[in-house]
Amino acid sequence: MKRFGNFMDSFGAILLAVIWISPLLFAFWAATHSTSDAVNLRLFSPWTMDNFIVAWNGAPWLKYFINTFSLVTVILIGQFILVTLAGFAFAQLQFPGKDFVFILVLMQLFILPEVLIVENYAMVSRLGLFDTILGVGMPYMASAFGIFLMRQAFKGVPIELHEAARIEGCGLLGILWRVYVPLAKPTYLAYALVSVSTHWNNFLWPLIVTNSPETRPLTVGLSIFGAPENGVDISVISAATLMSVAPLLIAFLIFQRQFVQAFLRAGIK
Amino acid sequence: MTTGPFVAIKDVAKRWNGQLGVEGITLDIPEGSFTALLGPSGCGKSTTLRLLAGLELPDEGKIFIDGKDVTTSAASDRNLSMVFQSYALFPHLSVAENVVFGLKVRRVPKLERQKKLHRALEITGLLGYEDRKPGELSGGQRQRVALARAIVAGQRLCLMDEPLSNLDAKLRNSVRKDIKKLQRDLGITVVYVTHDQTEAMSMADTVVLMKDGHIQQVGPPEELYNKPNNTFVAEFVGAPAMALISSDGLSGFEAGQRLGIRAENIQIVPKGEGRLTCTITESEFLGSETLIGLDHAHATGLCVLKSGMALMPEGDTIDITFTDEHLHVFDASGQRIATQT
Ligand SMILES: Nc1ncnc2c1ncn2[C@@H]1O[C@H](COP(=O)(O)OP(=O)(O)OP(=O)(O)O)[C@@H](O)[C@H]1O
Ligand SMILES: [Mg+2]
Repeated sequence: MKRFGNFMDSFGAILLAVIWISPLLFAFWAATHSTSDAVNLRLFSPWTMDNFIVAWNGAPWLKYFINTFSLVTVILIGQFILVTLAGFAFAQLQFPGKDFVFILVLMQLFILPEVLIVENYAMVSRLGLFDTILGVGMPYMASAFGIFLMRQAFKGVPIELHEAARIEGCGLLGILWRVYVPLAKPTYLAYALVSVSTHWNNFLWPLIVTNSPETRPLTVGLSIFGAPENGVDISVISAATLMSVAPLLIAFLIFQRQFVQAFLRAGIK
Repeated sequence: MTTGPFVAIKDVAKRWNGQLGVEGITLDIPEGSFTALLGPSGCGKSTTLRLLAGLELPDEGKIFIDGKDVTTSAASDRNLSMVFQSYALFPHLSVAENVVFGLKVRRVPKLERQKKLHRALEITGLLGYEDRKPGELSGGQRQRVALARAIVAGQRLCLMDEPLSNLDAKLRNSVRKDIKKLQRDLGITVVYVTHDQTEAMSMADTVVLMKDGHIQQVGPPEELYNKPNNTFVAEFVGAPAMALISSDGLSGFEAGQRLGIRAENIQIVPKGEGRLTCTITESEFLGSETLIGLDHAHATGLCVLKSGMALMPEGDTIDITFTDEHLHVFDASGQRIATQT
């Protein structure tokens, strides 16, 4: 009975893994073969790199890469600053209405970001940030999830360390910077992982607030590149898709171990 | 320079939502002295220390350090250092970084920092451990890092909250001596919290005994031992503690009074010659002597010491005697009455 259970566990896990990876495998297959070979699944057809060359020359990918990269960086920096300060305030400071404000922040978790798209659009336009990287990133900086995560992490720091730092002459921000932030490093790493992968893949919002190749991130660029009216075939699209996910994928493969450990240490299992 | 005491606590009280922390704490601490705050768990020792450190602010009263009113000053402005029970070492910093943490915060130049670090590590015997993380040290070594951090800046006042309670008995004895020596050599003022009376008695110049948020007695160890203010002090100080006999059990005392007597002043005498007849409840061999616990209807904590290994059968009755000059007399409310001789 127990062995059967184990077998089902492994079987389920393998099945899920196969389902999850098959689109990626197919994209890889399609990108490395000519279109007709790819769709007919001719297993022994010759490999080719032509699709990548065609795809690369079909759009300003380098610009898109830089845009996506700056976008996730800007968001991450903004998030780190806001989430650190807000998380610290909720974890360690006393102020009137604290619990109420915290519940307000948490309620943001229950609202789908898509619901806010119109309001955000109006806001970004009013700020004059339409079609800028900062404008794309702005609505995501005050992340409720991040604030909650950092609050939990900061609450786990022993109060004696806070007090010891106070006696050694630290001010409030000094304590935050010298004690809380370094101790929450695993949480920052785990959060960065979630944030970067989310915003690397974010599509709808950037599609709406960007309208020039100067600011367009990879996801939007890819969808325009692959739109039916552009008449691009499946192999070239696969090649383009692989190119856009490659940096993230490679980074994850290299840092797999650290990421898993970061998650374990951050206590989100 | 001021002529008053280095640290003065004047009628300080601290409550949490009406719940008592400490009350009516008045204490003068001279510079260069070693003061121990002693008392059972929950009596307000840590609270008193934290009020002094500025980690809590008092509801009433005033606190002066070095002649300056620091009642509402921030902890960082009080120029003192503190050793925590859990040591409170920063786990992400190495030993060296932990020790110079405060110097760095206060922007002491690097060269001076290094000099002070070297000296502090030398004094605490930690040279060679500079680059270890606290997690890679033994409990005793961590304790010494905490000490090094407390002395590195040369603050004149150092507060310690049960710094030895996480060490094993043997280590505790040796670190006790080290701390005492350190305090003498550096001439610093130490306020030391402990619930262990041997620790307080052996280290302190002045012992402050507390109970339920109030100070019971302040004085040098021998005064607490020889002239306890009340029955609480009598029963807390000394190992074994003082036995208390109600006046019903002895002739020549007023009703309601209680008489204290220490084990070393009690002698066993042949049957019929003693002042009390007691039953033996236990014999405990302590090494150089044997502690014999006694039971008597009108007494609590009665025991007698016999030298060497001298176990006595439980349940036997023996007679004991003592002289009046060794008796401490307490009135019905437990306060000491000056001995009448
Ligand atoms: N932050 C707080 N909030 C509410 N009550 C507190 C707080 N800190 C201490 N107290 C109360 O104040 C009293 C004194 O506590 P304190 O920590 O000073 O005791 P202590 O003598 O140090 O005891 P121990 O030997 O167990 O450490 C206790 O009754 C405790 O419950
Ligand atoms: Mg305490």
